[in-house]
Amino acid sequence: MSGAGFETLKALIVEDNAHMRSLLRALLNSIGIKEIAEAAHGQAAIDSLRERKSDLVLSDMAMKPMDGLEFTRHVRTHEHSPNPFVPIIMITGHTEKHRVEQARDAGVTEFLAKPITAHNLFSRIAEIVERPRAFVRCESYFGPDRRRRVIDDYAGPWRRKEDFQDMDVR
Amino acid sequence: MTKHATAEAQFITPEAYPQLMSKRGAAQAMKVLRSAQTSVKAQVAFEAAVPPMRAAILQYVDELEDCAGDMSCVFDKVHEIRGFAETAGLMTTGRIADILCRYMDDMYRIKKPIDTVIVNLHVAAIARAARAEDDDVKLGEVVARQLAALVAHRIADASR
Repeated sequence: MSGAGFETLKALIVEDNAHMRSLLRALLNSIGIKEIAEAAHGQAAIDSLRERKSDLVLSDMAMKPMDGLEFTRHVRTHEHSPNPFVPIIMITGHTEKHRVEQARDAGVTEFLAKPITAHNLFSRIAEIVERPRAFVRCESYFGPDRRRRVIDDYAGPWRRKEDFQDMDVR
Repeated sequence: MTKHATAEAQFITPEAYPQLMSKRGAAQAMKVLRSAQTSVKAQVAFEAAVPPMRAAILQYVDELEDCAGDMSCVFDKVHEIRGFAETAGLMTTGRIADILCRYMDDMYRIKKPIDTVIVNLHVAAIARAARAEDDDVKLGEVVARQLAALVAHRIADASR
């Protein structure tokens, strides 16, 4: 790892609309990311990840034949996944609560509702750069820690081994 | 009070897996993200995207009209239009698409049948707004308000 910022990163855009891919590419270019691969659906994205390292993934949700949720689950949990920790920003026009929860449970790092703005996209990238998320591995999930904040006076129920560390349990 | 763990999970801190960049790199990256130069470049990117996005929206509108009562098809296309319309500068189109998306989402959520009259009204309004060269904002907003009121009324009825 060097002292370099965005210029050495490799990104992957997974989106079925060519115009949106083009816009996302231009936005990534504007912050200095030059090495960008593109895929029109989840399966093509998996192939791309096998062939070439990617440090950051921007993915649409609704695509055929493989959507962004299945793609994300594959990246996070497949035994041959080249980088299960890669940050994935899910960009979608489907903003219903259950869709957001599906994305979270698939293991996305950030969720961004379309229509996109530069400010919104850059704020998600800033989150990834400034506050990298811890990961959680359990029987039913592998991905970024889904708890966004620590509640000091949380009274349980306690689910994780670490929850007991530094705790006075009587 | 004894606190019980109901399942064990492995917690992997950010220091324990490869990071996107070093702390020095992150500081540099944050400067780039916040710079005026980046804002200008992003603005240029958005402006360049408008004409092709408009063409894409018109394509989606044609496909939406061709759905001919296939609600799964309408659902997919109208969500695409909602996602792209504003980027294409078609605010009214995006607003009407958003109303239809919310209507369909809510009806599916409460497991009630979709009213095809409501859908057809929205599809016609979306097509008209998208094809109007100047995206007639005043007329479109009036139509959008009326459709929003109609949908709110129908959802309230269906929820009883």
